[in-house]
Amino acid sequence: MSPEVLTLALLGGAANYAFRVLPMRLPLFRGPPEGGSGRFLAATGPAAIATLVVASFLPMLPPVLGEAMPLAAGTAAVLGLWAWRRSVVLATLGGPLVYGLTLAALA
Amino acid sequence: MTADAPSTSANPPGFGQGLLAALPIVLGYLPIAFSFGVAAVQAGLTPVEAVALSLIVYAGASQFLALALLSSGAPVLLAAATLIAMNLRHALYGPALLRAAGETARTTRAWAWGAGLTDEVFAAALGQVSQSGRFSERWMGGLALGAYAAWVGGTAAGAAAGGGALAAFPVVEAALGFMLPALFLSLLLSILSRAAIPAVLVAVAATLAGLLLWSATAGILAGMILGALTGVLRR
Repeated sequence: MSPEVLTLALLGGAANYAFRVLPMRLPLFRGPPEGGSGRFLAATGPAAIATLVVASFLPMLPPVLGEAMPLAAGTAAVLGLWAWRRSVVLATLGGPLVYGLTLAALA
Repeated sequence: MTADAPSTSANPPGFGQGLLAALPIVLGYLPIAFSFGVAAVQAGLTPVEAVALSLIVYAGASQFLALALLSSGAPVLLAAATLIAMNLRHALYGPALLRAAGETARTTRAWAWGAGLTDEVFAAALGQVSQSGRFSERWMGGLALGAYAAWVGGTAAGAAAGGGALAAFPVVEAALGFMLPALFLSLLLSILSRAAIPAVLVAVAATLAGLLLWSATAGILAGMILGALTGVLRR
């Protein structure tokens, strides 16, 4: 293995591990829920997931609006399946299935 | 009750249930990790180096960035600093998850399951905790290990297959590309409440502004931090 790749992997991996594990050793999450850090952390989850929704959807938008049918159908399937069964697994698997079927039908 | 509905019984969810809950993440990770393995070999890395990056770094987008930086001849310390900056957001995930878990929060084995706290694993775990009000380190271990195995396994398969492996199935490739957006949207729906709406709206607006005006990393950091700060300002 080249020294460059190994160095990059070890530095990046060590930092990732520290970011993911060490903050849990801090007493941040043990304060009163109505406190500043409590409200910050309670809002972090919804904010983080909403951010990831935007960041993952945006690159999928086609340059031409008329080509957005598979994305629209897949998104509608996720929303519809969630409303119907309240199941993350079903909505996550059904959305891409409808996306692919729509894409194949339009091809 | 749906197949992935959280456990509401007296027993906390176990390792096997965590593995099962990782299924949507596994299906989302496999094609992306496969693509990473292919791209790494095409960029001149050996299959062993490609798998080592996934084993040790285990952070999707920043691994692709690392490939681009390495193949462009960027100094390794600059590449490492860029990779590290991209993953700073992960520092918020553990405390936020434990806060949501309340009195059921445990960190005895956090040294192990915490290493697998990626965007997707965090979102799935938060959904479970929000719906059931229960947290289990064993369940977290199953969830994290399932996702990790898919990422490393997908990378190995991609590195072994080489370039063009998915090119013969463009519709399948495109549909699998929608897996992670569908997962994030489903998880957002699973934790959405009236109280969370201001944070969600601010996060969406800040992410869009950051992504369009600056960069993906800036947009993601801005969305998460400004959205979370909305929670502090809320009365």
